[in-house]
Amino acid sequence: MQSIITDIPLLVDRGSALEPGCGYFERFDIHAGVLRQVLAAALSRGGQDADLFFEHATSTMVALTDGAVNRASTGVELGMGVRVVVGDQVGYAYTEELTLEAMLSAARTAAEIASGGQPRQPVALTPRRYADLYPSQRRWDAVGVQERAALVRIWESEAFARDARIKKVQAYLMDSERVILVARPDGRLVQDHLPMTMGFVSCTAEQGDRKESAGYNVAARRGMEQYDDGDVGGRLVDQAVERTLFLLDAGSPPAGEMPVVLAPGASGILLHEAVGHGLEADFCRKGVSIYGGKLGQRVANEQVTIVDDGTMPGARGSINTDDEGNAPKRTVLVEKGILQGFIHDEISARHFGVEPTGSGRRESFRQPPMPRMRVTYMENGPYSPEEIIASVDRGIYCETFANGQVQIGAGDFAFYMRHGWLIEGGKLTRPLKDANIIGNGPQALERVTMVGNDLKLDEGGWTCGKEGQGVPVGQGLPTALVSSLVVGGAG
Amino acid sequence: MMRHDDLRDIARLAVAQAKAAGAQEAVASASRGVSVELSQREGQLEQATESRSSSVGIRLLVDERYSSHGTSDLRPQAVEVFIQRAVAATRLLEPDPHRALPDADRCGLAEGVELDAYSEAQEQLESAQRRVEVAQLEEALVARKDRGPLRSTTAYTGDSRSVAVVVFSNGFEGQSESTSFGYGATLTLEDVDGKLPEASSGYSTNHAEDLPGLAFVADEAWERALRRMGAGPVPSGRYPMLLENRAVGKILGVLLAPMSGAALHYGRSCLDGKLGQKVAASNFELLDDPHIPRGAGSRRFDADGFPSRKRVLVQGGELRCFLLNQYYARKLDVEPTTGGTSNLIIPPGPRGPEAIAADLPKAIRVESFLGGNANSTTGDFSFGIRGTLLEHGAPARSVSEMNIAGNLFELYERYLEAGNDVRRYGTSRVPSVLFDDIQFSGM
Repeated sequence: MQSIITDIPLLVDRGSALEPGCGYFERFDIHAGVLRQVLAAALSRGGQDADLFFEHATSTMVALTDGAVNRASTGVELGMGVRVVVGDQVGYAYTEELTLEAMLSAARTAAEIASGGQPRQPVALTPRRYADLYPSQRRWDAVGVQERAALVRIWESEAFARDARIKKVQAYLMDSERVILVARPDGRLVQDHLPMTMGFVSCTAEQGDRKESAGYNVAARRGMEQYDDGDVGGRLVDQAVERTLFLLDAGSPPAGEMPVVLAPGASGILLHEAVGHGLEADFCRKGVSIYGGKLGQRVANEQVTIVDDGTMPGARGSINTDDEGNAPKRTVLVEKGILQGFIHDEISARHFGVEPTGSGRRESFRQPPMPRMRVTYMENGPYSPEEIIASVDRGIYCETFANGQVQIGAGDFAFYMRHGWLIEGGKLTRPLKDANIIGNGPQALERVTMVGNDLKLDEGGWTCGKEGQGVPVGQGLPTALVSSLVVGGAG
Repeated sequence: MMRHDDLRDIARLAVAQAKAAGAQEAVASASRGVSVELSQREGQLEQATESRSSSVGIRLLVDERYSSHGTSDLRPQAVEVFIQRAVAATRLLEPDPHRALPDADRCGLAEGVELDAYSEAQEQLESAQRRVEVAQLEEALVARKDRGPLRSTTAYTGDSRSVAVVVFSNGFEGQSESTSFGYGATLTLEDVDGKLPEASSGYSTNHAEDLPGLAFVADEAWERALRRMGAGPVPSGRYPMLLENRAVGKILGVLLAPMSGAALHYGRSCLDGKLGQKVAASNFELLDDPHIPRGAGSRRFDADGFPSRKRVLVQGGELRCFLLNQYYARKLDVEPTTGGTSNLIIPPGPRGPEAIAADLPKAIRVESFLGGNANSTTGDFSFGIRGTLLEHGAPARSVSEMNIAGNLFELYERYLEAGNDVRRYGTSRVPSVLFDDIQFSGM
């Protein structure tokens, strides 16, 4: 964490006076005087707090299908949102026009949530600097289409070369550069530059009359340097091919309740669905989470420590600042089985009288922030992965996942296994595919009876959806045994 | 109409700029929308959001090379530079000879169709009216609190309008306009085991007068939440599945995904080669009707500029139609149909779901899904479900933490009948349907 965000000059000479600079957004004529006026309009009806959130994002996707790099798309998002807060109440409006008139209008609309108290004046803005977790060496806006195309061509030709059963290959490179600026009435002014990239290779294989498709993706908050040494490309190809061929011999798992061993890495989806969402403190303050009243209580056995961390360098779920202008933290949710904390935005932190955890996130300037996960994982436990598998007489071993979902109040959650194995007599015996696995969050957590010593963070491009907003997240897990879950097999 | 004029100018200008920059063909769309959403909880407004957005999208063909682009930065200078860069970047791709706009004479609007999707009333709504409505809905929910142990309830209302124009360089121009009015509620109850079962009810329609009423939504949210009390798995096994009308869309998705041109072309379709063949029980019928007035998926033209028309997708259990846009049709060397569905229709049967269930000693009524996925290459699926175990139609146990699993062909072969309770909201205008002998996993 050596480097810091230095894009905002502390002071800019505007002729008449020195004032704080607005960094990147100066190119859109956004400066401190403008921010002050818009913040004042936001607080004009007695709102307690407010924020302005500016965003400029450019994204590119290059696709290789049918042997040619013949499809590309780009997108630009530019706009700003104004949030006004009164207690737990939120007024929100946004504009895609960064004119003073349009921004003042959005601010007045958002201000209507307040019933008309004393207007407040914002404090003079001071740029704030946090550690830079993803210093990008080669920004995507400086990378040409041909360089991107060359990458996906290599991935495709290598995938075909791996195995003659591979009949179709598609390869995609997606990237974006997103710059945000948060301004607050308490004087905070925070800018962040967020790179993101995801490579994706998908294959269809044929063997006799069987046909299967699968893919693999790798994502990170990095620039083009992500692909420099070829390691990422190699993994994309290896995994996409291996996962596709695996399915040719795989069958449906048995149906019903059974022990489930989770492989290290992507199995962190269990934490995300079974625990993470229920610990988002907006649900807790509204009294609708099954975990709401359990702070300080035992929720799992001693082996279980669960963390949501926004500070992992380069990780897809990491952020230098949250979307309310708070520095992200490493937030311990469950420590040695005891529920220690929730995932907070400022509203919920104020509600519970605790410090924000730097988890107030939003999809874009079009939405207000909410408490959201970042990178959620379980710390290592005492067992070797071999011991854990050997302990199961009949059950399944889950390796990869497609998607998951949870019901916050009932606590019921599900995740979809793409690849796995049948466990018989403590051994992996038969390859499995395609089954939904379902359980109840608090019950599943209690049923984590063995935690391995091989924590792995998954590198995939996970996106978490909540109330219509998607944000990039990460997850990880050591090998772990859940003594019983319901497996949706057909076999 | 007035509200399209400036958007048409923006889209035409974008096409002209693309051609000036060297594109042979271009399709530009310009859209604008306004929406307001309110939520209310514990007697006070919880969140009020107002959105005003506009965007320009453009699809380009430059020397047989294809790309697509979108921006919300509509400053005229910025749009022009954006398009110039997009054209320049497209030149660096490889040619794709299957990309082409349809001939102009194949494009057009469906004739004699009045979608009636726009209500002038939306622009007249004032924030005070909206606040009264959301407060009334919350009151209606709370007023029913003697029905069960209420933990929390949130009421929502929202309305929006949107207008879009699309301009093709082949001369086709289309426009669409719609409004939406909606409200809904989520309700959380307290169960004896510490669980907080929740349920919701929500509706949106083009015209406010088509909404079912606040009292209806409050009653339905309560009914659905109360159904979730005491939920748990029942023994694994094969049961008849009575799929509630609102949940049918997900199971139709299992059938529709492998019907798409992309799935067929990329070898990810278990329906490849099955056109004209039996893929479902002979009484199963599925239609797509884009011309239903005030229908959620209604339209007069599709993404290729083809006039929309009613299509039979499955009839007598036979697959009648793939979903082929111009591009994939050219790749597969067949005639295009349309790239996506609009309003899906399963014709109603003679009796209601209650009467259907009454004939069954045991059945599981599936009311919603939790997680799960389907594999379009093989047709295998596995979904988490929530619902009710019925015995001769009477609720015997609230069901959760269970999955259904199987294969597309086996599932649709076991289709038995449709109810008469067609749901008139959303893009799946379907009744409840009954499937026999489905694998449920639970206890």
